[in-house]
Amino acid sequence: MIELVLAILIATLILVGAAFALVAAIGLNRLPDVYTRMHAASKAGTVGSGLMLIAVGLHAGDVATLARALAGFFFFVLTAPISAHLLAMAALKMGYPLASHTVRDEMQNHREAI
Amino acid sequence: MTPAAMILSSAIWIALVVLGLAFLLTVRRVVIGPTLPDRVVALDMLVGIVIGFIALIAIRTGFTLYIDIAISLGLVGFLATVAFARFILARGGRAPAPPQPADFVPAGLVPTAQSPKPSGKRKAEPPAPPRRKKSR
Amino acid sequence: MITFLLSLIFAVIWVAVTGSASVQNLILGFALSTFALWIVREEASGQAYMRRVWRIFSLLMLFFKELALSAWKVAVLVASPRMPLKPGIFAFPLTVDRDFEITLLASLITLTPGTLSVDVSADRKLLFVHALDCSNVDATKRDIAQGFEKKIIEAFR
Repeated sequence: MIELVLAILIATLILVGAAFALVAAIGLNRLPDVYTRMHAASKAGTVGSGLMLIAVGLHAGDVATLARALAGFFFFVLTAPISAHLLAMAALKMGYPLASHTVRDEMQNHREAI
Repeated sequence: MTPAAMILSSAIWIALVVLGLAFLLTVRRVVIGPTLPDRVVALDMLVGIVIGFIALIAIRTGFTLYIDIAISLGLVGFLATVAFARFILARGGRAPAPPQPADFVPAGLVPTAQSPKPSGKRKAEPPAPPRRKKSR
Repeated sequence: MITFLLSLIFAVIWVAVTGSASVQNLILGFALSTFALWIVREEASGQAYMRRVWRIFSLLMLFFKELALSAWKVAVLVASPRMPLKPGIFAFPLTVDRDFEITLLASLITLTPGTLSVDVSADRKLLFVHALDCSNVDATKRDIAQGFEKKIIEAFR
């Protein structure tokens, strides 16, 4: 019985993780510019792979593996915003344009200063 | 085959198909991505998807050692993205502008064209390729 | 007393992470955590420390809630057929001023719904945030200021 519940839990984690990865990939293709694409990749992508790692930890069924999987999840969550931030900053400083229907840009007055 | 194992294996199959689809879509963005940052974002995403694949394989085969492989792959992917970001910064000015509709660049969004300091510096230099020299 | 309790907890965590539940390992973990706590004995004594730990924990909980919410929001946005998108960059006036706090706030903002921190102005007074939905910037600013920024100040001041 417990085995079945665990299997269902792991299956749910796997499927939700895969669905998030797919959504991130679709977003990568549908969104209009680099910056909006970064939203999709850095959030949905991270959550997707993180959920699957946790599923591995649960499936192994011992505490050491689960701890390692959780450590991996934390690691991904920590690094994703840093790389996204760095990329966005680099792209903006180098003048890659925002999408045409961007509604406001409060940074343009500051861009010469940076 | 117990029901638990059946649920698990079918879930893994479905997830493999979904991830494969996501992988192909991301590769599409890597190939067509009009600018370099687009491609870097897509490559970053590819690493995430491959980590998902590794996790699925770990569950299928039961080797928990795959977790360490996934973590190291994540580390390499992070470092690669950081290096790419530095590269984008160091390469300087924008590569040949991709063909875009005329209204794509809103007025005042190209920073180096009107900022007084860099352009003044550039005038002093001999006609060089449009790249900013930075010490880092 | 509280130090003893903390080292016991750390020893158990050590056993869990190293993955061998022998008595020797437990003792080693206890010794290590006692040593680690002895290093930080100045900070780790008394009520204030426990309160701070609790606040950091509550910040962490808020963060995971927002992370789940943000992945879900992006998913819904991308899956909707017309994508009601109003992207833009707004400037968020920073109250926190230390490097560490600004870094933490920027990272947290990146992983919350529809926002992605882009840069900090040269005088470190403004944080530039790219948002997917710029229709109500003031509400977003207020959410950040009263959510994460307040909690960061509570946890680390």
